[in-house]
Amino acid sequence: MATEQAMLEEEELVLSELNDDELVEQMHEDLYDGLKEEIVEGTSILLKRNWSAEKVLNESLVEGMRIVGVDFRDGILFVPEVLLAANAMKGGMEILRPLLSESGIKPIGKMVIGTVKGDIHDIGKNLVAMMLEGAGFEVTNIGINNSVEDYFQALEKHQPDILGMSALLTTTMPYMKVVIDEMVKQNIRDDYIVLVGGAPLNEEFGRAIGADRYCRDAAQAADVAPEMVRARRRGAISRA
Amino acid sequence: MIDSPRPRRTASRAGRTVRAGRARKLAARQRGIADEFVSWIDRRIPCFEVLDAEALELIERNADTVLEEVGVEFRDFPRALELWKDAGADVDGERVRFPRGMCRSLVTATAPREFTQHGRNPRRSTIIGGERTVMVPGYGPPFVHDLDQGRRYATIEDFRNFVKLAYMSPGLHHSGGTICEPVDVPVNKRHFDMVYSHIKYTDKPFMGSVTHPERAADTVAMAKLLFGEDFLVHKTVVTSLINVNSPLTFDATMLGAATVYAESNQATVISPFLLAGAMSPVTVAGTLTQILAEALAGMAYIQLVRPGAPVVFGSFAAAVSMQSGAPTFGTPEPSLILYGAGQLARRLGVPFRSGGGLCASKLPDAQAAYEAANTLQTAALAGVNFMLHAAGWLEGGLSMGYEKFIMDADQANMIAILLQGIDLSENAQALDAMREIGPGSHFLGAAHTHANFETAFYRSNVADNNSFEQWQQDGSLDAAQRANGIWKQMLRDYEPPPLDPAIDESLVDFIARRKSEYADRDY
Ligand code: B1M
Repeated sequence: MATEQAMLEEEELVLSELNDDELVEQMHEDLYDGLKEEIVEGTSILLKRNWSAEKVLNESLVEGMRIVGVDFRDGILFVPEVLLAANAMKGGMEILRPLLSESGIKPIGKMVIGTVKGDIHDIGKNLVAMMLEGAGFEVTNIGINNSVEDYFQALEKHQPDILGMSALLTTTMPYMKVVIDEMVKQNIRDDYIVLVGGAPLNEEFGRAIGADRYCRDAAQAADVAPEMVRARRRGAISRA
Repeated sequence: MIDSPRPRRTASRAGRTVRAGRARKLAARQRGIADEFVSWIDRRIPCFEVLDAEALELIERNADTVLEEVGVEFRDFPRALELWKDAGADVDGERVRFPRGMCRSLVTATAPREFTQHGRNPRRSTIIGGERTVMVPGYGPPFVHDLDQGRRYATIEDFRNFVKLAYMSPGLHHSGGTICEPVDVPVNKRHFDMVYSHIKYTDKPFMGSVTHPERAADTVAMAKLLFGEDFLVHKTVVTSLINVNSPLTFDATMLGAATVYAESNQATVISPFLLAGAMSPVTVAGTLTQILAEALAGMAYIQLVRPGAPVVFGSFAAAVSMQSGAPTFGTPEPSLILYGAGQLARRLGVPFRSGGGLCASKLPDAQAAYEAANTLQTAALAGVNFMLHAAGWLEGGLSMGYEKFIMDADQANMIAILLQGIDLSENAQALDAMREIGPGSHFLGAAHTHANFETAFYRSNVADNNSFEQWQQDGSLDAAQRANGIWKQMLRDYEPPPLDPAIDESLVDFIARRKSEYADRDY
């Protein structure tokens, strides 16, 4: 009975009839529930009401995903729910991205992520990609078994802020150093933030191979990534 | 009446004959544990079964549906696709779909129900399959943990230590494989040192390298030096761990290694290694279906490579935390999967691998002990034939614990007794004891007790059963601290089993030559 009533109420909800504050609040709820269509609709409505893309991004999407992140960290939300939320966020981002770049607003960040050569472990890496998408990143997931050439091709094509590498085997994690050394050799190391992760790594290993940070899990990666992108941009601005 | 054994006159002291009471007992009770040759457990109790015939048929039917409709990918390994095409499967790119019943009939036609894995010491040769359980140490961890140094990357010295500890643990019948990953040796050469350690420091059977087909070939070459070229033609001396890259995928690394072993008649343990929820459906029935489909496809492939090559139906199932994605262990759902998978393997008539002292704990603490006990007992009752990860496993397989190893080995000893079931011999019926003692009184002095007390009850070397005061006097140690003392003492007492110096030399030469043929590489 109760659920039936709730469904009826939901059916009656017309997003365009809500005022701005109500709509933003509703979008936070809809992100939480992973409702992609509703997020796409809400995003369009706000834009039609002359909200700037940046304002939509920050007040509705990023803030909504922040709440999702907190409840994921606290064990209230489950992985499949976060996956849905991130997917809904992606729906909104697809509309906003061209507008943001038109108005010269830097995206929150871009990342290329893949598992290194010889390694097929990808569950953790996929979680990291999901969390970063949830944090508003544009993530290109290049899968497993990636050689130096594969990483370089992806860097060239997508020009990300961050290169993320994952390895789960002690027999493959040294390959991360091969990639970083090659970046140094080709003089492109400083063009990217390099984050590494995977269960057999540790902080010391991350330092030893010349990565910028080792991330112990997906939630930490999602915290660290935007922070580092912002810091790097601040650095870039002050240098300019 | 049963006579209590009378001490024999055994030694002479200062010209007169004496009865060597103390020396005799000391010698008997401190007998080197490595001298005991128990090469498997004979199970004499029924397996615990959770599915009835109808349920088993349902899972089998569903697995066939998966094999037929969805199929399995054999990635980057054209040889497998050719074999499947010739065998009549539907090959679409790298996806192979199998007519109903095809995999099952390939397996049942030629895969052995059981096989002997020979040890270099014939008394250690073990039989995998049937009503037997072989206990095998943990596999794969990049880290080791002990109470003194905490967690650190494993080295080749740790590897040797664990081989020695397994050799000295009578409840472990096998030396295992990558007992821990020696990260101080170059990646592309460490298999030589690992295989050599399994040959040199123990005489129990062992597992070979699977991280590259060439490394598998090196393992086979070393086995030939040890056993003789001809020996391997029809006999099995190496088992290997071939993981399925679930869901429904075999990768070139694993297929390459599996093919090398199968071609030379060595055993492959085809293991769907599932973190349910991530790599298989979240339900027990769905996961069982996927396990059966994957194991069937893998074992059937091996039979195509070499009909009759020994294969083991592997199953490693854990669940992921739906709140973080982290693997969890010792929980009830994987236990149900384990029981069910054992039944499916028996119906197929092939040996079954699963279980072990699995846990997610970082330390040899209460969580480690109860999660491990849950899985060890489940695996024992489920009729597992090859129990990989039986000792040492911590942290979801990321760490090999010295103390945990000792605690698990203690459990392994207990499992052996449990599975042997109830002795119903005249002696065990003990009617004489009850006649002798009658009402009241006690049995501690009974002749029957005298004749049986030494082996009547399992004596743990880890557990403390003393009074509080005695325990306090002994230093108030917990189980892990006691285990810490035990492994150190074992390593001090270790004596290597003799190895023919000519064979040893040929192995050392082979390794030196192979290592010099290509540069060290760290990936
Ligand atoms: C910015 O960039 C970043 C940032 C953070 C990043 C990041 C990147 N990547 C990860 N993170 C971090 O965030 C994630 C989310 O919070 C975390 O990711 P994780 O991946 O750690 O966590 C996941 C959410 C859950 N965890 C996992 O998914 C890994 C779990 C364990 C059990 C594991 C699994 C599942 C598998 N395995 Co493999 N496996 C093991 C693993 C043991 C363990 N407990 O870790 C390990 C890693 N495996 C091992 C082995 C040996 C192997 N495995 C193999 C195969 C497999 C499966 C296919 C069966 C399966 C992988 C399936 C898949 N699609 O990924 C084989 C190799 C195949 C190959 N060619 O690569 C094979 C070689 C098996 C064999 N036959 O010997 C061991 C490694 C040994 C070593 N030498 O290092 C191992 C420790 C288990 C063991 N004891 O044997 C963080 O690490």
